[in-house]
Amino acid sequence: MTRRGREGVEDAVIRVMRIVGILFFFVIVAFPFYWMIVSSFKALEELLLTPASLGIDFSRINFKAYREVLFEHGFMQYISNSVYVSCLTVILSLVLATLGGYAVTRLRFRGRAFMSYSILIIYMFPAIVLVVPLYVAFSIMGLRDSIHVLILVYLAQTLPVALYMLRSYFQSLPVEIEYAGLTDGCTRFGVIWRIVIPLSAPALASVALYTFMIAWNEFLFAFMFLDAPGKFTLSRGVVQLAGSVHLSKQLVMAASVMVTVPIVILFLFFEKHLVRGLTAGAMKG
Amino acid sequence: MASLTVDKITKRFGAYSALSDVTFHVEEGSFCVLLGPSGCGKSTLLNIIAGLIPQDAGRVLMDAEAVDHLSPRERDVAMVFQSYALYPHMTVAQNLGFGLKMRGISKTLIRMRIEEAAQMLGIEDLLERRPRQLSGGQRQRVAMGRALVRRPKLFLLDEPLSNLDARLRANVRLELKRIHGQIKGTIVYVTHDQVEAMTLGDMVVVMREGKIHQIGPPQTIYSQPSDRFVATFIGSPEMNIFKGRAAIDGDRCIFRGSGFSLDLGKPQSAVISEELEAGIRPEDVEIVPEGRTPLRGRVDLVSNIGSEVFVQARLGEEVISVRAPKDTSLQPGDTVSLSVPPERVHIFHRGRRI
Repeated sequence: MTRRGREGVEDAVIRVMRIVGILFFFVIVAFPFYWMIVSSFKALEELLLTPASLGIDFSRINFKAYREVLFEHGFMQYISNSVYVSCLTVILSLVLATLGGYAVTRLRFRGRAFMSYSILIIYMFPAIVLVVPLYVAFSIMGLRDSIHVLILVYLAQTLPVALYMLRSYFQSLPVEIEYAGLTDGCTRFGVIWRIVIPLSAPALASVALYTFMIAWNEFLFAFMFLDAPGKFTLSRGVVQLAGSVHLSKQLVMAASVMVTVPIVILFLFFEKHLVRGLTAGAMKG
Repeated sequence: MASLTVDKITKRFGAYSALSDVTFHVEEGSFCVLLGPSGCGKSTLLNIIAGLIPQDAGRVLMDAEAVDHLSPRERDVAMVFQSYALYPHMTVAQNLGFGLKMRGISKTLIRMRIEEAAQMLGIEDLLERRPRQLSGGQRQRVAMGRALVRRPKLFLLDEPLSNLDARLRANVRLELKRIHGQIKGTIVYVTHDQVEAMTLGDMVVVMREGKIHQIGPPQTIYSQPSDRFVATFIGSPEMNIFKGRAAIDGDRCIFRGSGFSLDLGKPQSAVISEELEAGIRPEDVEIVPEGRTPLRGRVDLVSNIGSEVFVQARLGEEVISVRAPKDTSLQPGDTVSLSVPPERVHIFHRGRRI
């Protein structure tokens, strides 16, 4: 076969694979998502009559489900709990991962190499293994039914990856820029605050997004730890709603939209910051 | 401005000895060039002087006071990096003013200093740009400006010209000389380029493999190299080195190489009958009319670089480079008579010049 012919076959295979990939994604992810959104805007009767109908009639868009979920089923509280938990997790893990990642990248101290490599080991323990011992431990200490303990657990889950991501990024920053900062009169913290953090904005955005998604979507620990409905997070609230006696589908759908849409919006907002490197122009031309 | 003393500095990286027992002194307002091939430890030394990395042993003194316990900030030195290391997220003006801002200097004074430095370097129009919008030469200027505005006790420059193209490098070199005359700062300048060392330095410190080989003014380094390494490292084309032995012939001392001999003049401290090396700079060899001297070679190669002509000739079993007059009519294959003034021959015994 000629070289050109072989490349032609390759191109064709790649084209087909691409179409298959898109279809697969569409069926598995996009379709249920669409169905969820459409259903959340319909009245209960409509949903019961033709549950399979995919069209949406804009004249009959119905926000009743959202209103009910928000004001009658306590979702205002759940949303604010989730926002609180997620934001605090993000802030804390950014602060800790920045300092920790910087320390293992640039500073020399005893056990540095071990620290650096043990970061990911923590991540090897699946949550399901940890949840029961932690449940027992926190119950004994009387700390279990608390949003702040939940934040602590989320931090333990997100920090390894956050540290790992930031460490890799910090290693790619030219150390000479930091040297320049030090001779220009910065302290170590000054260098981190004025040089490393601004230059790491893309990595920090990725870490923030990742951490937020973990904390926002987490269900297992929230389900196990929280008893009082006033402390429920959104994902916990949705399950509570789905399990309640008078199940009405469009309410669950509206609640699900409230769980998923913020993540999508956040992703679209941060996406443009994620890839762009900021160090262009620092070094020789 | 301050004087600088580096006292017995030693630094190891694992088993590798980067600097051993490095000692020298730079007078206040003096331009000191650390010259050596890459990997000789000169950048490491610069980082130690700045306080960016700690030494294993030895002291750094500024104005005769030890500064080893001081942070880079407290040492008040300014550094220009080979890679420039500009802050990419700041404008040129912010880059220039950063060091002053960190030291709590008032905004109006910062503004004045920035304008002054920008004018000195001809970058007034670039102040609002970001580093990525600048050319290599412009970045280099900003990097120098960042050091200039600080008015530090000591300037440390780490191969600041090595990333510029040849033409720009020559211009900036001249400018650097002019700026030094203006600000009269104490400068430690690291380079592997002998031309920079010769033209810029008040004193040159020649280093190799973490050790100092020679310290002195450029002219001395050139005319009286302390050893074979310095002799061959300085000068272009490189100094000719021939192996041989010395012998006394009447009242003259003669160097016998393989297939030729050189007159060394009156016997002095030459080591008789031991392995020696004779070093002759291409520019110290004279081409003389046929038959005037016993030193005769056959031309191998003539390279005309415009301003100068260099000839390579066979001399016995050796090859010698000679700088010829610009109007030379020598052709490969010609026989040529050479003369070397005895006082211009450098004799090395076990690498040391005697």
